[in-house]
Amino acid sequence: MSDVLAASPPRSAKVRRRAAFLGVLALCALALVVFGPMFLDRFSINVLTRSMIYAILAITVDLLWGFAGILTFGQAAFFGVGAYATAMLLTHVGSSPTLIGVALVLAILVPVMLGLIVGWLSFYYGSTPIYATVISLVFPIVVTQLIYSGGTLTGSSSGLVGYFGLPLGLEGFFRLSGICLVIVAVGALVFVRSDGGRILTAIRDNETRCAYLGLNTQRIKILLTTVLAGVAGLAGFLYANASGVVAPENTGFVFGTELVVWTALGGRGTVLGPVLGTIGIDYLSASLSGELPFLWQLVIGALFVVMIIVLPNGLAALVTRLTRRGRRHAPASAGPELVAEAPVHHKKKIEGPLLSIDRLEKSYGSQKVLEDITLDVAPGELVSLVGPNGAGKTTMMRCLTDGKETSGGVIRIAGQNIAGLVPNQIVALGVGRKFQVASVFESLTVAECLRMARAALDAPSFVTASDRLGLPSAAIEILQLTGLDRLLSTEVSLLSHGQKQSLELAMVVALEPRMILLDEPTAGLTKAERTTIGTILKKLTNELGFAAILVEHDLDFVRDISSRIVVLHQGRLVLDGSVDEVVNSEIVRTIYSGGDHV
Amino acid sequence: MTLLLDIVTTAAILFIVSAGLLAIFGVLEIVNFAHGAWLTVGAYCAVVAGGLGLNPWLALPMAFVTGAVLGGVTERLIVRPLYARPLDAILATWGLGIVIGQLITLWFGRDVHFTENLLSGTIHVLGTSYSLYRIFALAAAVVIGLGFAFLLEGTRLGLSARAIIMNESLARALGLDTTRIRLVTFMIGTGLTALAGVLLTPLTSVDPTMGVAWLIGSFMLVMVAGSSFGALAVACLVFGGAQVLVSTFISPILGGITVAVLSALVLRISSKGFARV
Repeated sequence: MSDVLAASPPRSAKVRRRAAFLGVLALCALALVVFGPMFLDRFSINVLTRSMIYAILAITVDLLWGFAGILTFGQAAFFGVGAYATAMLLTHVGSSPTLIGVALVLAILVPVMLGLIVGWLSFYYGSTPIYATVISLVFPIVVTQLIYSGGTLTGSSSGLVGYFGLPLGLEGFFRLSGICLVIVAVGALVFVRSDGGRILTAIRDNETRCAYLGLNTQRIKILLTTVLAGVAGLAGFLYANASGVVAPENTGFVFGTELVVWTALGGRGTVLGPVLGTIGIDYLSASLSGELPFLWQLVIGALFVVMIIVLPNGLAALVTRLTRRGRRHAPASAGPELVAEAPVHHKKKIEGPLLSIDRLEKSYGSQKVLEDITLDVAPGELVSLVGPNGAGKTTMMRCLTDGKETSGGVIRIAGQNIAGLVPNQIVALGVGRKFQVASVFESLTVAECLRMARAALDAPSFVTASDRLGLPSAAIEILQLTGLDRLLSTEVSLLSHGQKQSLELAMVVALEPRMILLDEPTAGLTKAERTTIGTILKKLTNELGFAAILVEHDLDFVRDISSRIVVLHQGRLVLDGSVDEVVNSEIVRTIYSGGDHV
Repeated sequence: MTLLLDIVTTAAILFIVSAGLLAIFGVLEIVNFAHGAWLTVGAYCAVVAGGLGLNPWLALPMAFVTGAVLGGVTERLIVRPLYARPLDAILATWGLGIVIGQLITLWFGRDVHFTENLLSGTIHVLGTSYSLYRIFALAAAVVIGLGFAFLLEGTRLGLSARAIIMNESLARALGLDTTRIRLVTFMIGTGLTALAGVLLTPLTSVDPTMGVAWLIGSFMLVMVAGSSFGALAVACLVFGGAQVLVSTFISPILGGITVAVLSALVLRISSKGFARV
């Protein structure tokens, strides 16, 4: 049921080349950690073992902060909990191969459960990024204080020492930590380049858009926190075994900030940068601590400040920018192949109107912005919402897509009352919203943006990047009409204003909605672009049976494409009728007296 | 009775320590994570004043000026480029805190310093004898609170600052020099924080990392209070009270995390915290 619409050179060769490169890199790294101990002195082996364990933590910080944009100081606490779980079990219960196995399980499981709680606390509808950071600060402080008050159970301020862990010896732990680091790093690299991993970057770029593509971003962030808490716990297990001692400092928020510093200096959002940054800085710190401990800290602190201000993406980003500049003249790769897919969503016919608004009301305190709005919209209708500035048009659009916005009245979409529903749930009912200012993902490519729009319907892989992109044929048609089909692998930040508007419309259509809401889709577009959008909208409603609600100032445009016009004035619906009725009515002339406005 | 006095004076100390952070967060919407470092700088001003054989009270103006001048430099060089990136501003100011801490260590050494008491002895209040200094701290908190109320409500600077809080772009369009107001606000905030550092010296020992312990508590209180000094006072009373009660009846170690945990919970339930008070 799928036919190829746009021919493109095979991408699989490139994918294979990249996989081979990653494989070679991983093998080199493995060789380094396996044979490294033969060439290193005891001191270096000891310090580098620790550095590599810290590097695992830095990867988790990078995934959270560099990719998903969640600034966290809490990874240190998950690490500490994993380390303490191991040390406490081995100290108080005893040490045997079975118990070490139990310790490993506990060291992962306990942080995972705590991660779930921290995630639930941090991410909820309406939570702010600062709030998540606040929780990530409080959590390590709580853990540290509990350890201080744990008496002999946790060893209080002196920590736990003298338990028997894995019998591996200095070199064995170096190799074990190194192998774990390589596995985590390769796993992270594969994940962030997969279609599923790009969701993290999409959330960082524009979380609102993610929600309006039907993605439950809160759940994704909770899941990410939970999984990475487990990885940090594993690092804690390694640390407790390799160092033979755990102390409250390993769990504290100061250690958490150090992880962020290393990640920032190495280059957030690159995975390898934080690994190299952590190993480099921690090793140098240990080597220099004898001679100039405070001066070294001073240099690191100063470098960090300069880096955050001048080069927020770290040294590694500078390197990629330079290499990219060299490659600029090479033709961009074709991107994935577009494949038309049969609709999978909302096949069921619904009874009655698609949208039914009954006495909708919205007020801020005593200020009523919308009052007594009653309106029905059926499939295939293109309803334009007009009115002077401040009439409440955009507010009404917001009420239609966020069930927590309304102050009174009932809105039903496909028969279901949306009161209390959050945007991603309303999107799932078949509503797509295009914002006034194009809301897309600036650091993704055109193809990746479109794939995000499909992510809620068609779960993407967390391992591979597909070389096919399945879209509804209407979305493909928009891409072809606007020439975006030739720019699939172009980064969105390089697109023009009009191209971004078209891309957003294509993304909304790719959701397979029953109804699209558009807020001034033609603002700032050229005449030709306007005509294209008009053609697309007419086709979507007349031929494909979408319903559309359009907020628009350009009355000529509205007259050309609408099947119905609704006039809002001072928060009230003053007129609802066919194009002719509204355009020639006395009320409209009075409201727009002078008419120069329209 | 002592418990009641403990609660009120603890709240007063929390208020003194957080006021500077609130001034900056309220107007600039920037979390100054170098807050702990400014407290430390202030405390070391008291050490220097003691070393020079000056009257310990002179450390107060000295700390305010030092804090304000250093704060001015910080605003210009570090904070100004980051107004649009609040999370990065947290990190950059934290980095600055590391730098200041290490500079102090290089200069004064790691050792703990003690300073001459500003006020010693006890006083009879409400039938019990109580530390005179803690009562003085209560008075200082009231003075700072009233001072800010006057600054915000009664002066031109305060009017401009409130305009910026409400609508920054409109304020700029009306011809307010927002850049200068931000600078002055930041300087007042850091100066006040350094001053708070001096006021802390009789209560704690002075060492290069002393500020960090206070940073989190005041940060949480400010998050809960938003941009209102009234809300900050309420938050200090409620959470400071809880801290005293937990420390007295359960465990001093758990008392240390009461403020942070309660603040996080309050924010989870209502994201505006106490800002509506």
